Amino acid sequence: MRHYETTFILRPNLGEDQFTEIIERTSAIITDDGGTIINTDRWGIKRLAYEIKKEVQGYYVNLNYAAPGKTISEIERIFRIDDRLLRYLTIKLADSMDQDAITKEQDGFAARAAAVEADEAETTEETATETSTKTVPAEKAVTTEKTATTEKTGEQEEKTEATEKTTATE
Amino acid sequence: MPPQKRVFYRRRVCRFCTDKELVMDYKDAKTLRNFVTERGKIIPKRIWGTCATHQRQVTEAIKRARHLALLPYTGPTQF
Repeated sequence: MRHYETTFILRPNLGEDQFTEIIERTSAIITDDGGTIINTDRWGIKRLAYEIKKEVQGYYVNLNYAAPGKTISEIERIFRIDDRLLRYLTIKLADSMDQDAITKEQDGFAARAAAVEADEAETTEETATETSTKTVPAEKAVTTEKTATTEKTGEQEEKTEATEKTTATE
Repeated sequence: MPPQKRVFYRRRVCRFCTDKELVMDYKDAKTLRNFVTERGKIIPKRIWGTCATHQRQVTEAIKRARHLALLPYTGPTQF
């Protein structure tokens, strides 16, 4: 299985449900073929550098996954048919990935997400009082746990890791 | 041939080889904007002093970013 990264742009005025539906459909194609999703990153609505199909803004999504080669042609075929997608770009990052490398990548992303959350918690600590900050890291850690379990397929591992991280941040 | 005058021998070493271990990523529009002129054109390596390998990586990253509308093909980079 190869390590791929796909970034695609959706029309901005669709609504959160349609965004999730398109992402879920793409993830389903990948997992049906036996691939694993490593990370799903939504960048949100950004201003495009030039007009694409008369749209000035776009909703960016970044998918990091491992999949066999023929999945890509299937995904791109679906992307091409769908009108709601403006652009897509698929990049191969590595030729072969075994399970250890996949879990290592997932851990890397979870660690980076937790680090970002910890930074945000620290900056809010500087501005807020002590009692409120104790709740803020707990909330943010809970949200990372929830997003980790929904995004990644290795649910058991991610749950134990996230609980370890919540205990660490608290 | 007459001996060539020493031109541009004081050029610095490629900044990627020395400072950054970070690979140029097409998603990172902010740092990529340093390698692009105001009109959006890619800056040649004799101006920047990057080595050939890293200039190729930077060019590929810029072209990918342009495809994804993170950088414009022409015109001011307006972010």
